[in-house]
Amino acid sequence: MNEPPIPSGRTAIAAEPVISLNRVVKSFADFKVVDDLSFNVRRGEIVTLLGRTGAGKTTVLNLVMGTMRPDAGSVRVADHDPFRAFKALRGRMAVSFQTDRLLPWRTAVENAELGLLILGRPRREAREIAVSWLDRVGLSGAANKYVHELSGGMRQRVSLARALAVDPELVLLDESFSQLDHVTSTVLRRDFCALARRFEKTCLLVTHRIDDAIEMADRVIVLGANARIRLETTVPPASELGRLRHDIETALGPEAEQERSQTFG
Amino acid sequence: MTDRAMEGFAARASHGRVAAVGDVGAMTIVVIIILATMHVVSGFVPDYIMPSPVAVAKAGWKILTNDMLHVMATVGRLLLALLFSMIAGVLIGLVMGVSTTVRPFLRALVVIDTGIPALSWILLAVFWFKDPEVRIFFILTLILLPFYALNTYDGIRALPKDLVDMIESFRPSRWQVVRYLIAPHIVPYILLTTKSVVGYATRMVIFAELVAAAVGVGSRMGLAQSSFHIDEVMAWTFLLVLLNMALQLVVSGCEKVALKWRPEASVR
Ligand SMILES: Nc1ncnc2c1ncn2[C@@H]1O[C@H](COP(=O)(O)OP(=O)(O)O)[C@@H](O)[C@H]1O
Ligand SMILES: [Mg+2]
Repeated sequence: MNEPPIPSGRTAIAAEPVISLNRVVKSFADFKVVDDLSFNVRRGEIVTLLGRTGAGKTTVLNLVMGTMRPDAGSVRVADHDPFRAFKALRGRMAVSFQTDRLLPWRTAVENAELGLLILGRPRREAREIAVSWLDRVGLSGAANKYVHELSGGMRQRVSLARALAVDPELVLLDESFSQLDHVTSTVLRRDFCALARRFEKTCLLVTHRIDDAIEMADRVIVLGANARIRLETTVPPASELGRLRHDIETALGPEAEQERSQTFG
Repeated sequence: MTDRAMEGFAARASHGRVAAVGDVGAMTIVVIIILATMHVVSGFVPDYIMPSPVAVAKAGWKILTNDMLHVMATVGRLLLALLFSMIAGVLIGLVMGVSTTVRPFLRALVVIDTGIPALSWILLAVFWFKDPEVRIFFILTLILLPFYALNTYDGIRALPKDLVDMIESFRPSRWQVVRYLIAPHIVPYILLTTKSVVGYATRMVIFAELVAAAVGVGSRMGLAQSSFHIDEVMAWTFLLVLLNMALQLVVSGCEKVALKWRPEASVR
């Protein structure tokens, strides 16, 4: 597959890749979860990795995050090896997971400011930034609530605020919207995209839902078994989405239909 | 929280309140029955077997007016040893949880310590130390410390991997992981440990005082026993029961404040 053209509708996308995977292999015991995967994500781009459950998407994210090391090939993030140069990427990358992963003993705002405190920002400043992000995700009224007092959608919003508050160059989302009900998920996806584009974040999103992938991304990479790329394509204007959906379903294979109705990732 | 969960929560909360009132009522009834039994029995047997509740109350009044110093000595020793064991035990548990090289050695040490009977420590302390304060501190610390160490270590092992990965994604220092994740996570374990050892610790401090000190409730009880003042022994016993209840209340209070983020805990 050729390098896809820079998508229209995004302003000033520089050409250099922020994430770059080159012939990456990762196995657990005898099982090659990631087999010879290469792709780039350029600055300011939103790319979705779409694949069935078990395709190896989370493993790819872990490799990008630097919590795992590839068996072969190279992973580069902002010109660093994310595994070896663990500290060098401090504050430049933030993750929002499939579940909210909030600390139950902290209030919404205390959770949102966690990353900032870890980065050593002064308390007052961290609090101010966290409050403003809670505002942005529509949670200004819930800042002082504990996690058990928030709904699932609100928790996921806090989790997003926590990730975005550190102002990372790179945002990684692992099925962050998959566990929410349809309405909440749609609203949150739209909000996230608006924020990501407004602040020109580079985003690598992982999902097993075709709708999520198409709606949010500039570019979709469809992964088959062993994280092999089945299709890599920019997202066309709305009028051509029907065809893209069809192509993706074909690339995902016959189980795609059944996959889509599942709610777990 | 959903409305249904809220309703269920409210129902359970009010149920808890009813149960609390019931507890006080039941306690009152049981105490009245015990006093009545004592009263009846004391009419048939000599005073040195079973004194009347009135005699015990008089002895109790004497204690409260004359022997408060001993009560304070005992409570002071207890709190000091609890606090020290807590701090040292939690630190040892933390090291066990964080450092894989030191862990097996510390664990071996703690396991050996838990196997040593309290009596051995009491007798050894009498041989090894002259100062009664040192003896009692030594005994209590060695008995209590392993509970804190092991429970802290258990708490660390029970850390959800999800949360560890989450905090790791911000690339924190080891100290920050302790501060933002591990420390708050083990607070409930520390409180639970304190709750379960405080009664045991009270009994142990009395026992240690009986053997190893001249000041304190334990030594006063020994004195009362050797001079056939069973009314005083009984009065001290009642006082100790009250003390234990008071300590339990204090710990529960701490729990309510420290775990306010987890209201289910105070209901259960
Ligand atoms: N730490 C691990 N140890 C062993 N097997 C793993 C581990 N993580 C993932 N796997 C396996 O790798 C495969 C891909 O997992 P994952 O990357 O989570 O897929 P996805 O996120 O696409 O659902 C699965 O079959 C899973 O069982
Ligand atoms: Mg996954």
